[in-house]
Amino acid sequence: MSAMIKPLPVQEAYEDLLQRSLSRIPCDLGRMLYLASTRDYNTGNYHHDGLADRFSAKVARSALEIAHRQAFYKVAALSLEHLVRDLAAYLESSGENPEEFLRTWQRLEPYRIAIPMDVNATVARHFASNVRLALAVLRLRRESTHSDR
Amino acid sequence: MIGVWGALAGAVALLLVLLAWVRAEASSKDSRSDWGASDQEQGESVEACSPEIVSQIFSAADSKFISGLESPGLENSFRRERTAVALHWVQETSAFISKIMRRHLEASRLTADLEIGVEARIILQYARLKLYCGILFVLIGLLGPQRLAGTALYAERIIQRIREGLAEFQLAAHLREPDGSESH
Repeated sequence: MSAMIKPLPVQEAYEDLLQRSLSRIPCDLGRMLYLASTRDYNTGNYHHDGLADRFSAKVARSALEIAHRQAFYKVAALSLEHLVRDLAAYLESSGENPEEFLRTWQRLEPYRIAIPMDVNATVARHFASNVRLALAVLRLRRESTHSDR
Repeated sequence: MIGVWGALAGAVALLLVLLAWVRAEASSKDSRSDWGASDQEQGESVEACSPEIVSQIFSAADSKFISGLESPGLENSFRRERTAVALHWVQETSAFISKIMRRHLEASRLTADLEIGVEARIILQYARLKLYCGILFVLIGLLGPQRLAGTALYAERIIQRIREGLAEFQLAAHLREPDGSESH
């Protein structure tokens, strides 16, 4: 008799998401931002075409929501030094002009929209505060590199 | 003569505490307006702030990292940011304690077999925690969060135990209900 336990659909979808999409993203912050981008700004619902085709829209939504919360808490718990490295990796992988990227992120603070719904308010503040500091560190490093030349 | 000096020292100490309180209040107001309408009500957070995050907020390692960059501007920003987050955590924790106390008093009113000794101990514990939060609030404003990691984590452990106790209590209450799983 087979003793195999069939994984729950949401768990299966979650693992599929990890393997197919998230493993290709080089940093924790990038994974979190990617997951946030699958959320509709108006309804707060998550959607991913490929995942919804393989499973169902409802299962995909739950898997994306769980993955987003986990990614967020992981980034929020990073030390500042680690977050600076992660942000630098994200900046590099984006292929954008670093100066423009830093200016836009410091002015528009797009990372605030990437916070999942109903997370602890202190953790949300800590996350936003840490990203602000990490941006300031990267800017300082760039400025000191330029002045050394 | 000692009386005059003692009174003077007391007045200076009181002034320092008041100054720290005003500074802490200003920082926490900054952080409140910083988050705006998307914020949840104090003490009404759906999830608890994990001990891992609390130790990050009060982390001396982050402070050391920033100091190593030798930028006074960045050090100031770091101190301001972390103080605001730490004060928010204290306020959230204090509000959570008040909420629990309110719930407990409401439940106590409906209980027939109230034990005065136990109730007194619980109220004393709550009062101690509230006082703890008040002291932390002032000390964070005065010293900054990095020197208070041990104290904050101690408070966090107590809160965690209360949360766990509350969850067990709610589960037991749910099972005692006529349509709870125990009756099946």
